[in-house]
Amino acid sequence: MSFLKRVAIPSFLFLTILTTGCAPTLVSKGSEFPKIYEEQPRSILVLPPMNESTAAEAKDYYMTTVEIPFALTGYYVFPVEMVSDIMKQEGVYDTELLYQTPLAKFYEYFGADAILYTHIKKWDVSYMVLASNLTVSIESEIVSTKTSEVLWKYTGTVVVDLSGGNSGGGLAGLIAKAIVTAINTAAADYVKYARVANTRLISTLPVGPYHAMYLKDQSVQIVDQTPTK
Amino acid sequence: MLNDHIFKAAIAALFMLILSACAQPKPLYIYDDYSESYYHNKKTVTEENRLKLEASMEKAIENSPKSLSGRVAPGMYANLGYMYLQEGDAKKALSNFEKEKQIYPEATLFMDRIISKVVIAEGDQK
Repeated sequence: MSFLKRVAIPSFLFLTILTTGCAPTLVSKGSEFPKIYEEQPRSILVLPPMNESTAAEAKDYYMTTVEIPFALTGYYVFPVEMVSDIMKQEGVYDTELLYQTPLAKFYEYFGADAILYTHIKKWDVSYMVLASNLTVSIESEIVSTKTSEVLWKYTGTVVVDLSGGNSGGGLAGLIAKAIVTAINTAAADYVKYARVANTRLISTLPVGPYHAMYLKDQSVQIVDQTPTK
Repeated sequence: MLNDHIFKAAIAALFMLILSACAQPKPLYIYDDYSESYYHNKKTVTEENRLKLEASMEKAIENSPKSLSGRVAPGMYANLGYMYLQEGDAKKALSNFEKEKQIYPEATLFMDRIISKVVIAEGDQK
């Protein structure tokens, strides 16, 4: 009984979650984001996020974790730190101003095919008696500098369990939780968690030209990210 | 007590299973500690953190042949070159910017713009 209760049942549940986690069946990348397959952008310029959360640090966390997952997805990602520094030197300190800059300017100056805009809606660490969670709510868009079309967008929330306790947060949250629990760290190393969250957010993006699956992942099933539909 | 051990072992085994099931055998690029050191240097800018970041990038470049692509990650040469530039080493910076566009033609316009700016600034100093 004890074995069944402590090992067999949790293992079974765990496996079920994983199986669904690896292959969710809701929409295909090709039907969700047809324009990105048409236009085939090679490079992405990451703009600093608009931080609408209460955490002042969210912007830095985000900026230091966004470059890698986009690059691993197969795109040329412009050097994030260098770009943000140069923009400051050019007198653009204000993210709001940056978000109003005509897209053609970014093509002209950087040669970027597409721009990543991000709104951080929520970046909260909630401490509770039995659990603490990091909740990341993000709205991201990749917009073409040539056609001004939205090529990809993501709206969603990832809950990362910081304590190994009980939490929700959808498939992404569950996977993040599994990793966190297994690592079994008590101290909150947020960069690690932020990266886990970011990687999950980006998993719906059709892969870029440096990825082996380039233009072959239209049928890959993803969780529907556009609840407005 | 023993049950606890079995439980932990089962979880560990499952975790390994996930990793092998979902993860790629080799990453497309190698980053080493870049993300962590970048964050630490962003949060607390000290000479020590800066040097750590620089070292992590140099190490990532050194280890790049072990990655799936065999290439240095996008932006790595450029970001590192920019750090060299801030330290006043224009020569090392320029060579990094050149490497960035050699590996990634997408960066050509941006790198050429920066290279010409550096060259002009260097000329002014002489």
